[in-house]
Amino acid sequence: METRRSWARRAGVLFVLVWTIIPLYWAVNISLQTNVQGSAKPSNYLPPTPSLSNYIALLLGSGETAQAMRQGFVNSILECLCATLLTTVLATLAAYAFARMRFRGRTVLFYAVLATLALPAYTTLIPVYQLMSAVGLVNTYVGIILVYCSGFLPLATWILHNYMTALPISIEEACEADGATRMQVLWFVVLPLARPGIASTALITFLFGWGQFLFPLILSTDASTAPLTVVIAALQGRHSFPFTMMSAAGVVAVLLPALIALVANKYIVNGMLAGSVK
Amino acid sequence: MRASSRLFRSIALVLGAAAVTTELSGCSGGSQSPAHEKIRGETITVVMPAPPPPKKLLDRFTAQTGVTVKWNNVDFDSITTKVAAGGAARTYFGDVTYFNFLNGPQYAKLKWFLPLDTLLDPGVTKDTLGKSAFTYDKKLYGVPWDASVGVTTLNKSMFAKAGITSLPTTMDDYTADLVKIKRAGIVKYPLSMPFSAAEGLTVYWIQTTVAFGGASIFDKHGKEQFSSPSSPGYKAAQWMISALKTGLVSPGAVNDGDSQAQGLQAQGLSASSLVDYAGNVSSLYDDPKQSKVVGQVVYLPVPGAHGPVRSINLSDGIGVPAFAKHPAAAAKFVSWLIDGKNQIKFGGAGASDEVWSAQYLPSNYPALTTLNAKGKVGDGAVLLNILKNHSQPYFPYGTPEWYPAFSHAVQTSLHAAATGTMTVPDAIKAMAAAATH
Repeated sequence: METRRSWARRAGVLFVLVWTIIPLYWAVNISLQTNVQGSAKPSNYLPPTPSLSNYIALLLGSGETAQAMRQGFVNSILECLCATLLTTVLATLAAYAFARMRFRGRTVLFYAVLATLALPAYTTLIPVYQLMSAVGLVNTYVGIILVYCSGFLPLATWILHNYMTALPISIEEACEADGATRMQVLWFVVLPLARPGIASTALITFLFGWGQFLFPLILSTDASTAPLTVVIAALQGRHSFPFTMMSAAGVVAVLLPALIALVANKYIVNGMLAGSVK
Repeated sequence: MRASSRLFRSIALVLGAAAVTTELSGCSGGSQSPAHEKIRGETITVVMPAPPPPKKLLDRFTAQTGVTVKWNNVDFDSITTKVAAGGAARTYFGDVTYFNFLNGPQYAKLKWFLPLDTLLDPGVTKDTLGKSAFTYDKKLYGVPWDASVGVTTLNKSMFAKAGITSLPTTMDDYTADLVKIKRAGIVKYPLSMPFSAAEGLTVYWIQTTVAFGGASIFDKHGKEQFSSPSSPGYKAAQWMISALKTGLVSPGAVNDGDSQAQGLQAQGLSASSLVDYAGNVSSLYDDPKQSKVVGQVVYLPVPGAHGPVRSINLSDGIGVPAFAKHPAAAAKFVSWLIDGKNQIKFGGAGASDEVWSAQYLPSNYPALTTLNAKGKVGDGAVLLNILKNHSQPYFPYGTPEWYPAFSHAVQTSLHAAATGTMTVPDAIKAMAAAATH
């Protein structure tokens, strides 16, 4: 019975691995081929004459596309880092307040914040666009960062709330008994203890930000603020579909999040599971 | 990618519907500047699904007009989203943008674009092909910058190898020739057809309907004309599905969009496409970087029930959004883009650094004839004749406002029929139901 379970587990893991890795492999495989090779039937399971020409054209070229890709990469990093920083700071304060402070309407407010998670982002697109336009934040980093922040804040608050609720309260009470203020308790006790949770939240927020498309598409009116996702979509022409180059662009775009996921996998999983086990 | 395209189109549709409600309840359209507004020193944002025209020519435009152009290259599907979001939010997103004539009636009704009649100088569009598709309520809302029609392409070498000496003019001949090519083993699947649930499938079906003798899939009152089994639309759907089931079309076509289907012909994996894009011989089949059949593919007037039929107009347009900040400067740019002299340069008759890769087929007819005379239009003589004498609007009685929803039903139903989850009669029934508004 045990052996059968073990084999079933291995088969399950293998299935998930293949399911996940094949699309990535295919993107890499296609990106190393020319358009003619890439559209051959039957398909080439290995690049017949592997070439980095798509990557070179995208990253080192001097044309509009290469410039837009480089700018898009910078924009993605900047927008995601700033949004992550802002979201994490605000979510930490909010989560601490919801987890430890007693005030009227706390529960209602907390669930109201959580309820916004269920709101499809598309329903807020037009009001947000109008608002950003009215205050002159369309096509600015600040506008995009603020929108990311408002979108990610509820989830970040929830993750950190679960994490902080699971921390032993006795240490904080001891500090308060010794005369520490609420902010001192937060700064010197809670934050060091919650560091893994904060790291998880920051990573998850960054990864969410990296994949954003619709809001930055609407809020950026040129390449100066457009992130990679928007730039890559624009590689597709009206009557042409340079799929080998788009595959290369996809591989470039996925490198940073993949690296983060590999290095910080433990924190990401912790964040996802925060509060699930008491 | 295709799924996300559909998602964004759906979003655009929802936003559009929401905005129709708002507009119909009494809100007015956008602002309009005086036609003779001073434009020197203004900067316009141009949002297009294409890379910018050559810098040299854009700089010349700026020197002549004093207008600086900021170019925003956005993919085709996302432009629809941007237009819908900008229109629904009544917010500026650009001064000039791509105008999809299939969404034109929606745009016109919602007042998301400015009429160009008053903005453009008189006579600017005199020689522009296909502009009737952009006219709604007698007002011109967009102008074609690239002329395209549905046209048949075929690989003459493959046809010759199969012993076919004269090119087909009727659907019966065309089908028989494809069968002959398949039986001769020249190519396994001789016909390219895009069966993925995308816009290309609707276009293919509508042109095939014309081939089977239907002038339009709707009559002048907007009533559908394809639910009867004897109707051209019904026969067209049957022919398309039959081509797939009998192996004229690759089974993998159920996942192919139009660019993938064209790619098969470019790779020498199919012998023909009944409905192709007029411009692909130069831009795809004769480009050695993308094609293995250079010099082999030619245009053919679309075969019909009793002889060649008209090609449907598929022009790419450009327009000025209602909330443009600089409408007069935007109109100046539109005039510049469709100007014959510039289109000749874009088309490769001038210096090499003046070629604009995004212009496949000039919309200015004299420019097209000049480029053809200089050998810059692949198989140009056939194409010119089709464009000038044998083309018709996509919808001769005007594009219905509910076209996007109808097209979605056509795509999903025909795709389902192709995958075998729906019969052709059921697919036609679903399409007819979507046309009952």
